[in-house]
Formats: sequence, structure tokens, C-alpha cells
Amino acid sequence: MKGLLRKDFYMAAKYCRSYLLIGIAFLALSFTGGDRQNLFFVFYPCLLCGMVPVNLLAYDERSRWMEYSGALPYTRAQIVSGKYLVGAIIQGGMFLAVGIVQTVRMNLAGSFQLGEFALFMASVLAVAAVSASICLPFVFRWGVEKGRIAYYCMIGVACTGAYLVPTLFDSGIRLAVSQGLLSAILCLTGAGVYAVSWLASIALYRRREIA
Amino acid sequence: MNALEIKNLTKTFPGFRLDNLSLTLPSGCVMGLIGENGAGKSTTIRLILDMLHADSGSITVLGRDNRENTPLTKEEVGVVLDEVGLPECLNTRQVGRVMAGTFRSWNQGEYERILRRFGLPENKSFGAFSRGMKMKLGIAVAMSHGAKLLLLDEPTGGLDPVVRDEVVEMFSDFTRDENHSILISSHIVSDLEKLCDYIAFLHKGKLLLCQEKDQLLAEYGMLHCTAEQLEDVDPAAVIYRKETPYGVQAIVHRQAAPVSMTLSPISIEELFVFMVKEEG
Repeated sequence: MKGLLRKDFYMAAKYCRSYLLIGIAFLALSFTGGDRQNLFFVFYPCLLCGMVPVNLLAYDERSRWMEYSGALPYTRAQIVSGKYLVGAIIQGGMFLAVGIVQTVRMNLAGSFQLGEFALFMASVLAVAAVSASICLPFVFRWGVEKGRIAYYCMIGVACTGAYLVPTLFDSGIRLAVSQGLLSAILCLTGAGVYAVSWLASIALYRRREIA
Repeated sequence: MNALEIKNLTKTFPGFRLDNLSLTLPSGCVMGLIGENGAGKSTTIRLILDMLHADSGSITVLGRDNRENTPLTKEEVGVVLDEVGLPECLNTRQVGRVMAGTFRSWNQGEYERILRRFGLPENKSFGAFSRGMKMKLGIAVAMSHGAKLLLLDEPTGGLDPVVRDEVVEMFSDFTRDENHSILISSHIVSDLEKLCDYIAFLHKGKLLLCQEKDQLLAEYGMLHCTAEQLEDVDPAAVIYRKETPYGVQAIVHRQAAPVSMTLSPISIEELFVFMVKEEG
């Protein structure tokens, strides 16, 4: 397993370096234009990092690593888990960066409230986790080309999320449900979907024939 | 113990069927898998590695069912596929680190020794390697973790004759240990002839024969004669005949050939080509 993670981090460092720069640029842009108007700049870096495992799988397919890994002492579950772990680590790092930037931004605007901040971060976590979770099972089962269909679904989820989150902030849901509970529900939804996707990918990849 | 036992293995794809394949590779031996493109050589190797799921039949690798505790089995199996699928951005040093985290018994010293022997650079990325260099790196990885069985799918493809000879010698050294075995597929039959104890012919997914090489060479001979002379030979002993304007070329069982006829030795390649043509 260590070998798989090491290989993916070498590849991420080589092929996904630009993601880091784009992420930093978007986070910097999130400072512009007031308090609520640039959610896209905040969500996008996390969504982008969620696509790192899919990109790594695309490179794996191109180099025929998928076949080669079948000859190495790994179970199918380990091969899948490697990608989910790499995704979680990279997305986790970006999530932290978003959290720090949001804290600074809200403090500068004088609008920092812990409950609101927690709800916001929970929303980012849920949208990022769900969008990453949609693609991977398809890609593990049918390969990157066919997995593109799932990518379009992911874009749909991201757009819906980007629409729903501000609505959530301003809607009556906040009055009916406490911020803490809503944040917990969003976190659990994100984590739950990620876990289900992980298990589904393992099951699907076990059935895949590597020819 | 047998290094590899395949029993009644069947796998069907649209337009191809690996049909009821049975093979046994004893420990300490080298078996060459010979077949034309699409004969089922790579399919067989992928089935052994559980990359493909068999329709029926069983495979035992180093005494274990190939679907049970697969990682443990693969620790002891070195594999070179027809395309070495290492990530293109990795250099040989990084490949070594990845493999050190992959195999419990990874031998970094041995890996570096083989890299030096092959003259592979440390800092050049795999994607910039020639096909021959890629194959050499694949071989270096396969031989650096204390494998007991090597599964080699066209490992000498793309190598120049000098390196090919060196690689064949390395494989030969590997089998000096009586616990070490090799299953190797190749189009370059001359390499297999040098290396193998057993030869298996695959044709259109069917096993035409699987026999000890020396026995095979002793059993068959090439007869050059006229069509009239060939009529003196028991037809059942003639496995292939080809008529040319200069006479007849025939492969015959040596024991059934009349003593008066002189048989010339036959190569594995000739035998395979003739058998495949006979099979159609």
C-alpha cells in the first residue's frame, strides 16, 4: 500500500502541480467582491482537488499501470483505496487552506461567526466529497473514457451545490434546523457518500477484467 | 512441488476461446509458451495473475490457488508483461522506492546491480526510455524481490540481439536454483530454444502440444525426399508435408521412418510453423 501511495504522490507532484497554483489563485480571488458573492472561487479549488484521483487514473490507464498493478502484490481493494486515500489527503489539504482563507476573509469583513463558518465549511466538504465520489466508481468499472459521463454528472452536482448552498444560507432551513445540526448533517452526508463510493468502487473494480 | 499447475482452463471472449488448457510446470524448470498473435499466450498469463476471471478450470501457483491470498502469491512471482506499465514520469530511482513499498522482500542492492548491468540511467524518466530500456527496467523489477516464479510475456521483444542474449543468460542463471521456475512466452523461438526445458504450443486458444524440449527434438525429424519415397513412410507418422518443385519436405516421427532414410534435425520454430499450418 505504501508503494501505491508513494507512486501516486510522485505522479500528483508531476502532473497536478498546476492544480495547486489554480487553487491558490482562486482562493486569492475569493477575497474580492464582498462577503457572499464568490462562493465559486471557494468551492472550485476543492472540486479541482477531488478530480486528482480521476486524473491519476487517466495517467495510469495511459501508461498501462492498471495492468501492471495486477501483477503486483496488491488486492483490488488496496488499489482502489490508494486512490481514495490520495484524494482524501489532497482534498483535506485544500479544505484546510479554504478554512484558513475563509477565517481570514470573514474576520477582515468583521462577519466571523463560528456557527456560520462551520456551516459554510460543512457545505464545502459535502459538495467536494459528493462530486469526487460520483466519478470514481464509474472510472474504476469502465475506465476513464466512459467515466467522463460521470464527470458531467459531477459538474451537475457541483452547479446544484453552488446554487443550493447560498440558498441554504438565506433560506428558512436555518431557522428550522440549528446551524450545528445542519453542519453535522452536511458533514455526515459528505463522509457517507464518500464511504459508499469507496466501497462501490472496490466492488466494481473486483469485477473488472484487466485485459 | 510444481511451480504452476493449470487444469482445464477455459476463458471465452467474443471471437476467441481459450479452450480447456492444461499445463504443468515443475519447479526448477523453464517452459516456453509459443503461439502466433492472438493464440492465447497473454490471456493465459493474465488468467494466472487473476487479472482475468476464468470461466472454468483451476490454476495453482507455487502450491496455492491463484485466487486465494493473491498478494502473498504475487510476492513470490516476478512478472514482465508485453508492455511494462510503469508510470511515465517516474525515474528508475523512484521506481525502486515504489517497489520497496510494494514488495516485502525487495532487494534494493540487487535492483541497483541489475540497473548497472543494463546501463539504465538513474534520473531519466521511464516515458523517455526506448522500448528496449523499458523492458530492461521491467526485468530488473521482476528479478529484484526474490521471486520463485517468473511469468514473462514477450520479455525479449524490442531488445537488440546482444542484450537479448544477456537477458536470456540472466533467466538461465535464475533457474540454477532448483526452486526457481519460469513461464515465458515469446515470438523469438530461438530464445526459447536456448532457455526452455518444456515447450508448449498454443494455437487459436488450443494447446497443440506440451512436451520436454529435448524429447520433442528427439522425437521428430525433417525428411527431404521425393513424393514416391515418402509413400514408403507410414502416413500416421507424417505430421506435415510440403511439396515443392524440388521434392517433398516432411516432418515425421523418427521411430516410424524407414532406417534407410536420413532425417535432419528439426528446430522448434520449424516444428511449430508446420504444426500450425497442418492445424489450419
